[in-house]
Amino acid sequence: MDDKYSSNVLSSGQLGMVEVPNARLTRYIVLLLVSKVLKALGIFESYDLLKVVHIVQFIFILKLGCAVILVFFQKPFSSGKAISKRQWIKLLKHSVISCIISLLGFFGLTLCGPLRTLLLFEHSDVVVIALLSVLFTSSGGGPSKTRGAALFIIAVICLLLFDNDDLMAKMAEHPEGHHDSALTHALYTAIAFLGVADHKGGVVLLVVSLCLKIGFHTASRKLSVEIGGAKRLYALDNLVSCIVLLPWVIVVQSSWSALILPFGMIIFSVMILEFYVESICIAKMEAPRCARYGSIFLFLSGLLLANFWTHPLTEQLRTMSKTPQQESTETEHVLSGGVLVSAIFFIMADSILSSPSKKGQKGTLVGYSPEGTPLYNFMGDALQHTSQSLPRFIKDSLKQILEEYDSRQIFYFLCLNLAFTFVELFYGVWTNSLGLISDGFHMLFDCSALVLGLFAALMTRWKATRIYSYGYGRVEILSGFINGLFLMVIAFFVFVESVTRLVDPPNINTDMLTPVSVGGLLVNLVGICAFSHAHSHGAAKSNCSSHDHGHSHGHGSHGHSHGSSHGHSHGGGMNANMRGVFLHVLADTLGSVGVIISTILIRQFGWLIADPICSLFISTLIFLSVIPLLTDAAEVLLLRTPPEHEKDLNIALEKIEKVEGVLSYRDPHFWRHSASVIAGTIHLQLMSDVVEQRIIQQVTAILKDAGVNNLSVQVEKEAYFQHMSGLTTGFHDVLAMTQQMESMNYLKDGTCIM
Amino acid sequence: QGTIHPFRKTHRSFFGKLSQEFRLVTSDRQSWRILVFSMLNVFCTGCLLMWCSSTNSMALTAYTYLTIFDLFSRVFSVIFVCLIAHVCVCVFSTRFKRLEVLAVFASTVLVQLGALFILKESVERFVEQPEVHTGRLLVGTFVALFFNLLTLLSVKNKPFVYVSEAASTSWLQEHVADLSRSLCGIIPGLSSVLLPRMNPFVLINVAGALSLSITYMLIEINNYNAVDTASAVAIGLMIFGTMYPMSVYSGKVLLQTTPSHVIGQLDKLLREVSTLEGVLEVRNEHFWTVGFGSLAGSVHVRIRRDANEQMVLAHVTNRLFTLVSTLTVQIFKDDWIRPSLMAEALPASTLRPSDYGGLSSFVPPPPKPSEDINRLTSTPFKPSSPPPEFSFNTPGRHVHPVVLPNTQPQRPYGMGLSYGASPYTSMLNQDLARPGMGIGIGMNLGMGAAPQRFGRHPF
Repeated sequence: MDDKYSSNVLSSGQLGMVEVPNARLTRYIVLLLVSKVLKALGIFESYDLLKVVHIVQFIFILKLGCAVILVFFQKPFSSGKAISKRQWIKLLKHSVISCIISLLGFFGLTLCGPLRTLLLFEHSDVVVIALLSVLFTSSGGGPSKTRGAALFIIAVICLLLFDNDDLMAKMAEHPEGHHDSALTHALYTAIAFLGVADHKGGVVLLVVSLCLKIGFHTASRKLSVEIGGAKRLYALDNLVSCIVLLPWVIVVQSSWSALILPFGMIIFSVMILEFYVESICIAKMEAPRCARYGSIFLFLSGLLLANFWTHPLTEQLRTMSKTPQQESTETEHVLSGGVLVSAIFFIMADSILSSPSKKGQKGTLVGYSPEGTPLYNFMGDALQHTSQSLPRFIKDSLKQILEEYDSRQIFYFLCLNLAFTFVELFYGVWTNSLGLISDGFHMLFDCSALVLGLFAALMTRWKATRIYSYGYGRVEILSGFINGLFLMVIAFFVFVESVTRLVDPPNINTDMLTPVSVGGLLVNLVGICAFSHAHSHGAAKSNCSSHDHGHSHGHGSHGHSHGSSHGHSHGGGMNANMRGVFLHVLADTLGSVGVIISTILIRQFGWLIADPICSLFISTLIFLSVIPLLTDAAEVLLLRTPPEHEKDLNIALEKIEKVEGVLSYRDPHFWRHSASVIAGTIHLQLMSDVVEQRIIQQVTAILKDAGVNNLSVQVEKEAYFQHMSGLTTGFHDVLAMTQQMESMNYLKDGTCIM
Repeated sequence: QGTIHPFRKTHRSFFGKLSQEFRLVTSDRQSWRILVFSMLNVFCTGCLLMWCSSTNSMALTAYTYLTIFDLFSRVFSVIFVCLIAHVCVCVFSTRFKRLEVLAVFASTVLVQLGALFILKESVERFVEQPEVHTGRLLVGTFVALFFNLLTLLSVKNKPFVYVSEAASTSWLQEHVADLSRSLCGIIPGLSSVLLPRMNPFVLINVAGALSLSITYMLIEINNYNAVDTASAVAIGLMIFGTMYPMSVYSGKVLLQTTPSHVIGQLDKLLREVSTLEGVLEVRNEHFWTVGFGSLAGSVHVRIRRDANEQMVLAHVTNRLFTLVSTLTVQIFKDDWIRPSLMAEALPASTLRPSDYGGLSSFVPPPPKPSEDINRLTSTPFKPSSPPPEFSFNTPGRHVHPVVLPNTQPQRPYGMGLSYGASPYTSMLNQDLARPGMGIGIGMNLGMGAAPQRFGRHPF
């Protein structure tokens, strides 16, 4: 049944992957289950051990024990080819990185407890790579993968936000004496600097180290081929990292000889058994399925253990260690609702992400085979992946932005604005002032309008394509329209807010307001200066360019195509984009001025009501100033005949009627396409004995005088209607044509017939 | 702070007219219903906004915006009914249909800006989470859901329905389609219910209500106030996801772009045009949608010096007329003064048939794609430009096919000629009753041996 609905082109027939039935794999699945349960046990135990044993020492012991066993089994020195000096150096690097990763992992373990570590850290490569490809590439593999990624992220967020672990609150005020090494202390201070609780820091740490681990695994694949097998690499790696860690361990002396047994257990379950079982299962089953089962088993056993684990070692350890560091009343990392939910989400996310991609490849339909089955072309995916490098892209777009006056102006102002915003935000976080932070966010919100304007200013210069056949000039007008709507929204919010405040004026703390608003005012004044210049400048330039355009398109036979006296009638300039941005900056300036005035009034006279009144006033001003922009842009978008040209066009049409040979015209449409292009179409009916091309030229010249610089003229004679009625066999069409012909009054008296 | 709604009417002047047209509107039954629903919606929105401020819940505010969006689209449709009924659109002449497009665009953009505002507020709330009172939360949710679904399902809003069907699918739709496909894999009986494309408005309403109920549950049970903010963000993102494709679609119409789904057909037609006898090249082709669905365009055709302009014009128009309803074709001749004089100087009877062969044997050859690509020049034209993208079996993403009457291009009228009494001639003789014309054709037909001279009228 699944096949019927699967969207996979390839695997729906006999072509796809053949899944091995589960029955044959039962052995391996059971093996996997056992190893995962043991691993969960080992992790729980090592959490207890880590309370007394120093972390570096702990890792050293693990690596050492592992290395001894592996060297014994794998015999990396006696078998295989000899290892060159360069490979040894690579091995050294490899093992240093692996040490760092396991250090981070186990440190995360001490922070968040075993269950959360299992949930966060023990994902297989397949899952994480699928997750990353969904997040950072466009070809994630369909909505189901996206859902899986979303589940994963939600699960992590659940752990971060909704997991109120009681122990954590206690550990947050960790006494300084607790840290017994410089390393742990540094990590602690780093996490404390982030300003989150310890276990949240642990969650972040674990996520980061998970990504590191996956990247490391992927990178070390090449080395493992070079060395001769993953197992040999693993053995050697453990050995080398022992040696790397040795000097440190000697410095940190403490006794661990009493803990041989648990260490042996951990080494066996976490380091060795899991490694071997994993490699066998991946060989026998395919990797995705192995990953799916493995993570499900691991998480479930982790949940079970978290419920029933009674910390058998803790008592023993506490008696053994001479200085019990913590009170015995402490509770461990317990199960909470958040953890439970996130565990469920993690299981779901893993099973979705590790399932092989069911989504069919996107192909383009090429045609049909003789049998009638459709043929597709799958080449596209492979060929279109010529991704630009990011720095190059930034450089290119910066160059484009700085080329033209408008976009340069917007860009500089945007930078200024962003800088101000970030200073404000940082200062707000520094002094813990909520007002500043929210004002910073407000500024960011405003910046989005600027970004829109910048983008539109960039787009207008793109070349015309098949879809945008007139060029992208119209984007500017659309962006002006959107900016106008944006301002309306803002004005309305301010209005409603101030009305509610008018009813109940709140107490305002004016200390912080003045410097911020003065700063904002200064920034915005700079913007106003820049844009008002750009404003007039841009308008003038657009006029010029439109006339240049007109000249270059003239076909040159008639001399009277100079229309420089036209087109100056429109006052505001048609660059709606710049107008929108300008209005935005103006609104911001008004806001700052309002804040300053109301602050002064409140300070001097204690009029709390001054603030809402100011904002009422400002919002009305914004609203009124936006309306002309909106109506202008809407008229252009609706393809209205440009009002400033209307008179000229009417005169031109009258002239056209008087041209010799023209009987009448119909369907005259003229509209402004963008700031510099006014397009038009017109149909002319001619007498049958005039030369069409001459009429076309005359009409084009007349309309060019009226400002239309992108014109198509359809010239129809009587013969056209006859041909048309011949070509269209439908009765109604012919009828319509006949009526059209009759509308040409010259035909009525039969002067024109043949 | 939650009691605000961001929507303004964008066309002030129409609202003045609205009051004039009120009587007119109430006379029509359909618009009367719309009006009643709008009133209901206003009432409901007012209640919801009050509850928003009393519960202090961001998520409910976000959900209320959807209601306001509904109200908005209702109001627009009332205006349209009024405008259609009473022609007060003389300024906008025939471009009236674009008003619908602008309305759809404005309302979708406004609701997205509202969602942006919600996102901003939510970020501020993440910094300091205020208490949320759950008292009216669930009631508000269900009232809003009920009204939204009621208005959605009972009042057909034509432009919005069109856009929601024509625009590409939103991510919400895609996910639901994917989920329901896998569900259908388990229970095949559901396929008729779940597999067709979902209405995005219904979908977002239901999803929003769902997330609000989850919020209510979590706040009631565990007092997680942050859930409210999180679900506000989720609803905001869903609003973005749903409205974005629609605003892109209507924005593209406003930008006068060639709709990408007809590009293939247009190319085919233009290729045919460029293979017509006498046509040298087709250039400056501009096609755009005026309202939803109606295509307009202008094209310049350069022809040979000795070709008959009216004939070519008629053929080009006839070809493109099937797809482009409002068409302007400008015929172009290089160096037109000399040849036209020559052609006029020569009496028609002295022309050798071979000279005519060019322009009058107008039976177009079947389009050969291999040779004509280079004849279509001057505007960037990629033969490999995206043919409709294809993805197997996904019901969500379907490109709206435009059905082209297949028979049309293969109707050269030379065929009619061979039958003698073609509908062409009979029609002309009956309807037009132009003796000269009839005689001309009759003569040509009578000759029979030289059918290619047909259509050339003696000047």
